[in-house]
Amino acid sequence: MVSFFLGDIGMDSKGEKRKKVITREPINLRQFIPPQAEPELSVVGQAVDRTDAKLKVKGKLDYGADYPQEGFLHGKILRSPYPHALIKSIHAEKARKLPGVVAVLTAKDVPGRNGFGVVLPDQPVICGDKVRFVGDTVALLAAETEDVAQRALSLIDVEYEALPAVFDPREALKPGAPAIHEKGNLLNHHKLRKGDIEKGFSQADIILKRSYKVPFVEHGYLEPDMTMAIPQADGSILIQGPMQAPFTLRRNAAAVLGIPINKVRVKSISMGGGFGGKEDAPIDIGCRAAVLAAHTKRPVRLALEREEVTLQTAKRHPHIMDIKIGAKKDGTLVAFEGTIYNEKGAYASLGPLVNIHSAIMMAGPYEIPNCKVDSYLCYTNHPFGGAMRGFGAPQVCFAHESIMDELASELKMSPLEIRKKNAFQLGSATATGQILEESMGLRETIEACAKAFDWDRRYREAGYIDRERTRRRGVGMAMGFYRTSIGTSFDGCGANVYVHEDGSVLLYSGITELGQGSFTVLSQICAEELGVNVEDIRLVSPDTDLVPEAGPTVGSRSTTLMGNAIILAARQVKESILEMASQMLFVPVEKLEARKGRIYNQDNPGRFVSFKDVAARCMATGKRLIGQGWWAPPPLGVDPETLQGNPYFVYAYSTQMAEVIVDLQTGEVEVTDHVAAFDVGKAINPKAVEGQIEGGIAMGLGYALMEEIILKDGTIQNLNLQDFLIPTTLDVPDVKSIILEMKTKFGPYGAKGVGEMPNIPTAPAIINAIAHACGGRVRSLPANPERVYWAMIEAGGPPAQ
Amino acid sequence: MKDLNLTFNLNGREVSKKISPNLLLVDLLRDVLNLKGTKVGCREGECGACTVLVNGEPVNSCILPAMKVAGQSVITIEGLSKEDELDPIQQAFIEEGAVQCGFCTPAMVLTAKALLGKNPHPDESQIRQSLSGVLCRCTGYRKIIKAVQKASLDK
Repeated sequence: MVSFFLGDIGMDSKGEKRKKVITREPINLRQFIPPQAEPELSVVGQAVDRTDAKLKVKGKLDYGADYPQEGFLHGKILRSPYPHALIKSIHAEKARKLPGVVAVLTAKDVPGRNGFGVVLPDQPVICGDKVRFVGDTVALLAAETEDVAQRALSLIDVEYEALPAVFDPREALKPGAPAIHEKGNLLNHHKLRKGDIEKGFSQADIILKRSYKVPFVEHGYLEPDMTMAIPQADGSILIQGPMQAPFTLRRNAAAVLGIPINKVRVKSISMGGGFGGKEDAPIDIGCRAAVLAAHTKRPVRLALEREEVTLQTAKRHPHIMDIKIGAKKDGTLVAFEGTIYNEKGAYASLGPLVNIHSAIMMAGPYEIPNCKVDSYLCYTNHPFGGAMRGFGAPQVCFAHESIMDELASELKMSPLEIRKKNAFQLGSATATGQILEESMGLRETIEACAKAFDWDRRYREAGYIDRERTRRRGVGMAMGFYRTSIGTSFDGCGANVYVHEDGSVLLYSGITELGQGSFTVLSQICAEELGVNVEDIRLVSPDTDLVPEAGPTVGSRSTTLMGNAIILAARQVKESILEMASQMLFVPVEKLEARKGRIYNQDNPGRFVSFKDVAARCMATGKRLIGQGWWAPPPLGVDPETLQGNPYFVYAYSTQMAEVIVDLQTGEVEVTDHVAAFDVGKAINPKAVEGQIEGGIAMGLGYALMEEIILKDGTIQNLNLQDFLIPTTLDVPDVKSIILEMKTKFGPYGAKGVGEMPNIPTAPAIINAIAHACGGRVRSLPANPERVYWAMIEAGGPPAQ
Repeated sequence: MKDLNLTFNLNGREVSKKISPNLLLVDLLRDVLNLKGTKVGCREGECGACTVLVNGEPVNSCILPAMKVAGQSVITIEGLSKEDELDPIQQAFIEEGAVQCGFCTPAMVLTAKALLGKNPHPDESQIRQSLSGVLCRCTGYRKIIKAVQKASLDK
């Protein structure tokens, strides 16, 4: 019997809508999946080999660029060289006349909505009246060969009228700034208000004000974006390519083509990395290729070169973060005030959702009674920000973990001490007033990390490592927390499980494989729940014609949400299996257990039937072997004026510690050691979790030390990997990961999301270590040698000891 | 430009083709010979995804004109194992969890093959040095290095 407490849906007993929605104990039983009353799990928790690894090591897995190209037209994009300009005229006759050119399209040729976007469709498929960043799309072209397409681009004449451009979010907000979009340059403003900020500061013994800055960075996935749009005989269209969000592409393409959603079929194929970048880039090129394909009535492939990926696709949002923090002299935090200038760039992409997340996460994993955050999302004439691993958290974590160290230094406390004083624990209230009621392992990660790293000794023993006193060692730490899933209005997930008469299983899931191991982990969950082996499961690759709506593969949501949906689907089939097995064994259903292909009597395991035989009997007698599951998180919500409430339903936690050696003469930094502890709820596949940790830390190291998109007058100066540097084997140390499991009742076997958490506290841990090593406090990433060197000089030179 | 005759040894067999002198080795392998295991990541010799072995040495095939391998021996990932068998390096990559998205994997495997061919028991620093020409954004390199160490022990 499920009863519904009115408070949970924001109504009071008179049925009137309350402004605040606060979740309590989840009471809708369909959302609450208790972990197995633990007999030892048979496949969940094992480091099974990835199901797709063999094809990958042989080079036999086809990525988008490996698909046959016969019959395809080659699509190309003509881009604006101006950051902000009116389009006065476009003359494409010469291009159209070039033999082999099949179509040149401008804005008027878009059949449906000339706009796409994950959150709001403010990005033109083809710009009509104006361009808003260097690289904005002015025309689309399709030709028989790539060569012809490339040559034809230069034959299109575009007349522009340059407009004044704005490149700084604070400038963009000033009255009189050039308006990039009609509604003005402020896309949104989120306000977090907790307690009484003035009262808080009045209670402080010490107040610190600092400002921190982070740049645009690129995802740097090794596989450049590409897409294929193939018109079908029945009037529908197939769009396939590497992508994290097939359903989002589908709804955008339908609107752009002006056709119903069920006439668009989208397939996500093998991906060479995503990191959030393949959430919206595939929508961008997918819609454009689709328009070319619909117009020419021929298959079109649109593949980006590396420079085009950098030029055109979304990046991590730059943040300028001003913080004012107040504490008692014993280190207890009393007030936190933050202002974020979140640089949107030219188009919305995921910006609006990143901005609310940045505001929510700004104050860090600390109990602070009085918090005030204002986060302004501002358009500029720069390339735009989108989703990138962490979604606002890497940016704000750099700021809050830096200022915690600066505060500790002023109070003559150790970085570890001040964090222990204020860190979340079970029952803590976050900056949004959410009570953290379960699955809370932050303090355990601090303990475990400090012990494994030998923090106290290393912190004391930092100092010069050579007689010439040219190099100094230092250590630093940082902590973070990160949500599982995206917390917005649509966050549901469906799965289908089909069992066949020979016991083999098809698993239909719309979660995509970026390389993170989702296909393997989801197969493990399915196998565990059904009681079969992982090898018995074949996961059908995400195809919107075949799999249920799953939402995008983002926000560290896949294992938890899709895992739950799969469990529900598998249980539906398992009902039939257990009923039939009960008949076959003359044992009541409650006594039966299914494991590794056998169903047996708990009390007498020697008495069993094979899953295969049971499935065959079910099929022969018309018993249901199809299961469908749907899972959505418990009710969540925040007050729009104060961001108070429960924005997300569970968090992962991490503490990281880094050791660096700084060359005092050049500012070069070597990261010599890195230890990181995580509370992940449950590691479905520990090796895959380690993989996410090790890879995420490498990405965080790059953010700390070397990654930066350099812009001059709106133009990217470093389009390729020669000057946009990402870490190599010579940059990343041997990382030690510690996995802790504080299970959540909301996740499969207790699992929370882990994909993004690892790359969040890494950069501040390294920046804090640099400060410890050489005294230089870098407040603007990356901490390249020049910044480290000058920060050290500004601090008065290297420390004496 | 006139097409020229190219003859070279590919994965143990002699291959002859008439090609444009403009044609890059990676495009010969992928588009003309249909061997898609060699990947394109940057087309400027930075990422290493296009790595093949020329006379046993790792080379960025995206910046090498195909004519340059005339008379030489080239090994691609397809040449490393026959049918269903796996080279011990490939097996080690699977077991150590060194494969995530897989895009850099053929390049890493071939580079490791070249290294172990010359130095059967490299230390960690030598492994890192040898693999430094191949970028990986997924793994943080740790399990790749462990896989190479495992393969060197298993030999």
